[in-house]
Amino acid sequence: MLFSLHFSPPPVIAPLPFKPLSHVPHYHHTLNMLPSTHVLKPPLCSTMEHFTLNHHGKGGGEEEEEEEEEEVDQTLPLGLRREAMPRHVAVIMDGNRRWARSRDLPVRSGYEAGARSLRTIVELCCKWGIKVLSVFAFSSDNWFRPKVEVELLMSLFERGMQEDTSIFLRENIRISVIGDLAKLPEALQELILNLEETTKNNTHFQLIVAVSYSGQYDVVQACQRLALKAKHGLVEPGDIDTSLIEQELETNCSEFPHPDLLIRTSGEFRISNFMLWQLAYTELFFAQSLWPDFGEAELLKALLAFQQRRRRYGG
Amino acid sequence: MDFARPKRMLYFWIDKIGNVLFRLSWHLVHAIIYLCYFTMAMLHGLESHLISRGLLRKYKYLHISKINYLAIVIESEEACRTSNVIQLLLWVATLGINHICLYDNEGILKKSKDVILDKFDGAILFQDTHENNMLLDQPCMTLEFVSFSDGKEAVARAANVLLMKYIKSRAAGSNQGEQIFSESEMSEALKTVGSGGPEPDLLLIYGPARCHLGFPAWRIRYTEIQHMGPLKSLKYGSLIKALYRYTTNLQIWYGNKQVKCSAVLPWKTVNLGKSNRTPSIHGDS
Repeated sequence: MLFSLHFSPPPVIAPLPFKPLSHVPHYHHTLNMLPSTHVLKPPLCSTMEHFTLNHHGKGGGEEEEEEEEEEVDQTLPLGLRREAMPRHVAVIMDGNRRWARSRDLPVRSGYEAGARSLRTIVELCCKWGIKVLSVFAFSSDNWFRPKVEVELLMSLFERGMQEDTSIFLRENIRISVIGDLAKLPEALQELILNLEETTKNNTHFQLIVAVSYSGQYDVVQACQRLALKAKHGLVEPGDIDTSLIEQELETNCSEFPHPDLLIRTSGEFRISNFMLWQLAYTELFFAQSLWPDFGEAELLKALLAFQQRRRRYGG
Repeated sequence: MDFARPKRMLYFWIDKIGNVLFRLSWHLVHAIIYLCYFTMAMLHGLESHLISRGLLRKYKYLHISKINYLAIVIESEEACRTSNVIQLLLWVATLGINHICLYDNEGILKKSKDVILDKFDGAILFQDTHENNMLLDQPCMTLEFVSFSDGKEAVARAANVLLMKYIKSRAAGSNQGEQIFSESEMSEALKTVGSGGPEPDLLLIYGPARCHLGFPAWRIRYTEIQHMGPLKSLKYGSLIKALYRYTTNLQIWYGNKQVKCSAVLPWKTVNLGKSNRTPSIHGDS
């Protein structure tokens, strides 16, 4: 897939012709009036700048009015609360081929459209304060697809990584690739290693791309690493517990290895062998739209649903 | 002429009126949204009632044979509602689903298993000694009770089993190369430690959060997951709707193999139209 990212500068807000509006309740305070058992619908319009003003609850003449403190959040759409944003969002990008078929287009067009969607979502995640985005780009089961299609995908990965390296560096994005990379073409493996090395010190945002990945493979390779440690005397037989396995999972490359929210597109209600261990307490959101059609409005809907639902964690 | 004071007054009143109008429109928008959700909830309740009564035609026939193994996840705070759990199991059994796995994170259902099993004549406890394919042929109801200890903790125990085998094989001189363990070996090790049940076709989650709360992850690679809401709001119609949605799904992926289901297959069907009363815990059918 392509990783051509174009980040627009934040919009400039023109100064108000009069004093700021006062006595306006916080948006999120008002939203709490809604019944908590219902999923909140996204606002009718998509991203819009809005003013979140303090509610001082007092009136007064023009001489007595204090300077109202004005918080301007230019990057969050209406209804989203920055303090309640998930730190790590995982996405199963399903539906590229169905999207192409529904438009009588070749499969390649579906994947390219999917890449554009990914670009949009990465940009939005960066803007809205999500720290990590994991995407399920290529499953270990996908190796059984037609060879032509697999080669197409590998070439798209390669091209995307080459074209967007400068953007990742400029936008301070760290790239991590997880999965059984030994099955990938050697040129792509080398490109991945270079890209990971080049971006490893970037801290603003992390994009984890799962390629040739399966959740069961992740657990097995963690156990293999522990077995090798045992071979060198670093781990005693019988000492393996859940925390040791967690440390060896491939998602340990991230500060936030467990997704808070999983989004799966195309209307399928399964996790398809993605991050099986890590998703135990992850909020699941199944979107009806196909991945190339998944944009800002759909992401906003998922995030609003996440923020509205009560989340529980296991003991 | 000093226009500053009138100008300030004008701004003040514009500010005030603007605030009032803004707040009114804000409350109006939220009132409309609240009404929409209220209406949706009423419609959902009505639909559930109509499904329970067998009045909605499309829900009259369920292809139950597509559900070989059903898993039910219940949040631990609600798992102590044994009567609700039994009611749910009764409905599921009446619909013809005989092999069920019950999960809650803290193992509360495990403690209630005797009470639950007593309510179903002939129901047996799932044991790992059953091969999965033999389990599915059992004519009677089988119930499996699992908790967090059968999930991640079981994988850790299985990893220790594999590690011991690896150390022994190294001591015997065999060289396994880089691939020390495989996924199938992990599956076998999970059976050895008593946590190797079959992969459910469908997993229903009863609780406020839409997550599977630590259900043994090894077993839900391709399991369809549906969130049902809190157990205290248990509705027969919602259960039927969830089962209907699963059984009418035309694409069932299983690894690299796509099984396309068509209406001509001779599936066992359950006709819900004959019974116009929801099965109850008191033995009505």
